[in-house]
Amino acid sequence: MIISIASGKGGTGKTTVAVALALSNGYCQFIDYDVEAPNADIFLKPDIKNIKKVTIKQPYFLMDTGLDFSSCAEFCHYNALAVIKNEVIFYPELCHGCGGCILVGPQGGVREKDVEVGEVTKGFVKPGIDFLKGNLTPGSMRSTTVQNELEKMVNSKGDVIIDCPPGNSCSMVMAVKNSDYCILVTEPTPYGFNDLLISMAVLDKLKIPYGVIINRDGIGDSAVEDYCRTNNIKVHLKIPNDVQIARCYSSGGTLLDYDISYQEKFEKIFKEIEGLVYQES
Amino acid sequence: MKQMTIISGKGGTGKTTIASSFIKMAHEHVAVDADVDAANLHILLEPVIEKKEDFFGGEVAVVSEDCISCGKCEELCRFDAISDSTAQIKIDTLKCEGCGVCKYICPAGAIELRKDKQGEFYKSSTNYCKLVHAKLDPGAENSGLLVTKVRNIAEDIAYSDNKKLIIIDGAPGIGCPVIASLNGVDFALIVTEPTLSGISDFIKIYEVAKFFNIKTFACINKFDINTENTSKIEKFCVSNNIDLIGKITYDENVPRAISQKKFIIDYPDSPAAKDIRFVWEKFAEILYN
Repeated sequence: MIISIASGKGGTGKTTVAVALALSNGYCQFIDYDVEAPNADIFLKPDIKNIKKVTIKQPYFLMDTGLDFSSCAEFCHYNALAVIKNEVIFYPELCHGCGGCILVGPQGGVREKDVEVGEVTKGFVKPGIDFLKGNLTPGSMRSTTVQNELEKMVNSKGDVIIDCPPGNSCSMVMAVKNSDYCILVTEPTPYGFNDLLISMAVLDKLKIPYGVIINRDGIGDSAVEDYCRTNNIKVHLKIPNDVQIARCYSSGGTLLDYDISYQEKFEKIFKEIEGLVYQES
Repeated sequence: MKQMTIISGKGGTGKTTIASSFIKMAHEHVAVDADVDAANLHILLEPVIEKKEDFFGGEVAVVSEDCISCGKCEELCRFDAISDSTAQIKIDTLKCEGCGVCKYICPAGAIELRKDKQGEFYKSSTNYCKLVHAKLDPGAENSGLLVTKVRNIAEDIAYSDNKKLIIIDGAPGIGCPVIASLNGVDFALIVTEPTLSGISDFIKIYEVAKFFNIKTFACINKFDINTENTSKIEKFCVSNNIDLIGKITYDENVPRAISQKKFIIDYPDSPAAKDIRFVWEKFAEILYN
């Protein structure tokens, strides 16, 4: 079973929930899909086994051949190159590495080299939890390339817990799309509520069942809870607003470190989700 | 005219709280909500939409029944977007980046590139300034392109109305929408928090700002949550020449204000409000110089 933990708004507690769920489950694969800001390792403290570079291929142009590269510039859908007076100007940050310029360009004039866009780290957190994270190189825009590498390593024979990136755009969809269930973590404020509704729309579109965890319960208003009640959406847990939890989090502590009774609470949530998923199918 | 973007790497550190406060205190300015897939500025600013436009993102490949199942497109696609091309071909529009290689190589002319509507963007007026904002369709792609669209409109407004400043509320992360919100701005303000996650993401977003050669400022929100981590951030700022412009006290008035759809700076006894005002005064001297 694949469970993803997502949230439209950032900083609502995705990683806190994902880590607590993984630790209380004990036997799973944990994947940090938030390749732009991966933080789960701060809490899970995995032993790292290996780090694999993620690269894309980018072209370079042999200009001293005197060949005409204008067909490459005409083809490129990303405007990553321009040809002015037989001189190629290449903008690597716009290049997606599609290889189109090699196909259409003068034979032998365009070559490719590997460019690093990130890395994938493999490790384990005590026997039982396999750990995987993607990490985008600062300055690169190839988040989805790094996520694609992670996707190839999902081991769906067992339980998989996916810590998603914030937001409701393509990188969130990449993270949730194969899940059997998604936990949406939110906070009870108009910001949290607004972004929660968009995440629900994404999951409805993808036909992925979901439930909600309300974090920092008590700081705001009851709009999230009212909405869930009216629309029959399961609220799995409310984590109270408590500056001690925030302090514990700030130095790398988990919910279970803060209060061991969360172990049982998350075991129960896991069972609830199992019930919901297997009843669905 | 100057442009500044508020970013954080980690989400939920207080970008929008600070951006909305600045927007209320600034003058001769235009505001941009560049968090197009989880926009929140409108909740406080209550914009009146003046002009609405559809957003068409990048192209994606679509295949017609002329497909002869030769498999050439799948072989050449670098994005793993095509599968089963020798039987009933499938194109994963989420993975397709619209490069056009499959269309070029297809011997049957069965592939076309299509552009779909992926959201809307708005030019609005508020009680404080013009606001340019957007709504990306749930789960849609090309958020970076949409950020560029809203920023272009804001620049047009700034030039035609002779404004001095554009304040851009950025998205979390360090990827394409964030880079689009930083491209060509004069200043970046990183809002961080003294947590290990906050620090890790602070360093990454700082590297992005440095990569694009942008003058960077930092501000530590909820600095008193963990003073040890706060001094780590302070040291990092000193050794990397980042101008640490202020620290903001942890204050439960902040979520309370959000829930009442009020500005934190309007809470007279709020310690955070006092700190934010102080940061703005220091910043305004630089921005309006």
